[in-house]
Amino acid sequence: MTIKRGVSFYSYQQEQFFRRMNWKDMMRELHDNLHCDGVEIINEATIPNYPFPSQEFIYDWRNELAKYNLKAVTKDIYLDVHQFRDHVMNYREAAERLMYDIKIAADMGFENVRCLCMVPIEVIEMALDTAVKYNVRIGKEIHAPYPIKYDPSREGGRMVAEIIDFVDRTGTKHVGLVPDMGIFQIAPPRVNVEYQLRNMDDLKLRDFIEKNMNEMDGKELAAAIDKEFPDMDSMQKRFLGMFTRGPAAQPEDILEIIPYIISIHGKFYEMTEIPGKPGQYEDVSIDYENVIKYLKQGGYNGYINSEYEGQRSQQDRGIENLADEVEEVRRHHEMLARLIGE
Amino acid sequence: MFDSFLIREDSLENVYDENGKAVGFKFAVRIADYRGAFLSLHNGYYIECDGVEYPRELQKFEVNGKPPRTFEEIKKCVWEHWDFDDEAYVYVEKEGGLEPGKHRIGLQQSVLSQYGYMPWDEDWVKNPPVPGQGAGAGKTRRICYYDLELI
Repeated sequence: MTIKRGVSFYSYQQEQFFRRMNWKDMMRELHDNLHCDGVEIINEATIPNYPFPSQEFIYDWRNELAKYNLKAVTKDIYLDVHQFRDHVMNYREAAERLMYDIKIAADMGFENVRCLCMVPIEVIEMALDTAVKYNVRIGKEIHAPYPIKYDPSREGGRMVAEIIDFVDRTGTKHVGLVPDMGIFQIAPPRVNVEYQLRNMDDLKLRDFIEKNMNEMDGKELAAAIDKEFPDMDSMQKRFLGMFTRGPAAQPEDILEIIPYIISIHGKFYEMTEIPGKPGQYEDVSIDYENVIKYLKQGGYNGYINSEYEGQRSQQDRGIENLADEVEEVRRHHEMLARLIGE
Repeated sequence: MFDSFLIREDSLENVYDENGKAVGFKFAVRIADYRGAFLSLHNGYYIECDGVEYPRELQKFEVNGKPPRTFEEIKKCVWEHWDFDDEAYVYVEKEGGLEPGKHRIGLQQSVLSQYGYMPWDEDWVKNPPVPGQGAGAGKTRRICYYDLELI
């Protein structure tokens, strides 16, 4: 048993937007070129007429999985608390949404749903019987800036412990965690930095960051910005978090949660050739090498599903500057297969 | 997201009433996020054309093969969905429509989708954000500009 490779169709969002690939084309790419079998989707991107998919779509979906011998691993679901607009959705209503999404997942053959970091544990608890009945696991995402280690002083610093306590207390096999590789981000991705700098209204701030970002680490840069621009609004500061925030978790932290992992989001931004190693690729902003080392050491044998996100930082210019999602994912799988040791 | 591509380049045209009088203009849009949304979450647009702002009250939205609806009507469509794949039309009321030729449109979409409960939730029920301030604008906070030719 070893780590398995898959792709979240999120990676091909731009191809889908421009109508160059649909979900069937994506499945064919997995089978023919990536030689992997794990499928992950965003429910509201892939399912036509969500939340009421037709029987025809369900059958077509399952048939296509069968055609290529693919596995429906995880379906990513959401919690839009403003759906009804005249009131904020309460926890019981949120649980209804979750239960309904679990049923759709089961219809489509998915083993898991990924729910968001901020879904309250009470909502998950209310949906647990449904998850058991349909044998679909609920995986809560660990997304940056949430850490793995318990740290009540940090945003989301109790979340992982809360899930682990819940699983241990109830003994359920139907709740767990979906770590996103973005928590192991060790440097701001080049494409995101360039996008932010291109689109920054405050030109003085832009020049200041450009001048100092290579000489200072995140903490130093944050302090320097605070000193130089004391009146900046909090929203602007949040965007600057990209330059100033360190990794949310350390690679070895993953060892603490391996039995609770449902699947992993293989977040990445840009695959570049490793100097001196033609045909081998890396994302210099995320520490895949060490995380996969610890996953192997801890005996993880579930899926890492590629989640390419760099394209969206390159959509503010002309069509000639768009990223090549298909090529990026192929490079990501070169790296995954090599680090997993296939 | 999709900053340069939210409006279809060749889609700007005038809208006429039954007497053939121009009463506004329309253009085709896509959703500014990586997923579709319940239609009720769609909270309108910040729109400026040639420097003039057209608030939400002057806008209608045409999607799912139904006639254009105001954003007060859209708000009630709690089980209808705007799919990620689908193009929609934004209608803007403007007496006389636009002159033929080039026009510069500034746009920001506001869809109140989010990732769970937020501190401003109750306030958004009572006072939905006015589009253009970044609220509900997906991952793009700035106004995006498009130079379009009226056909």
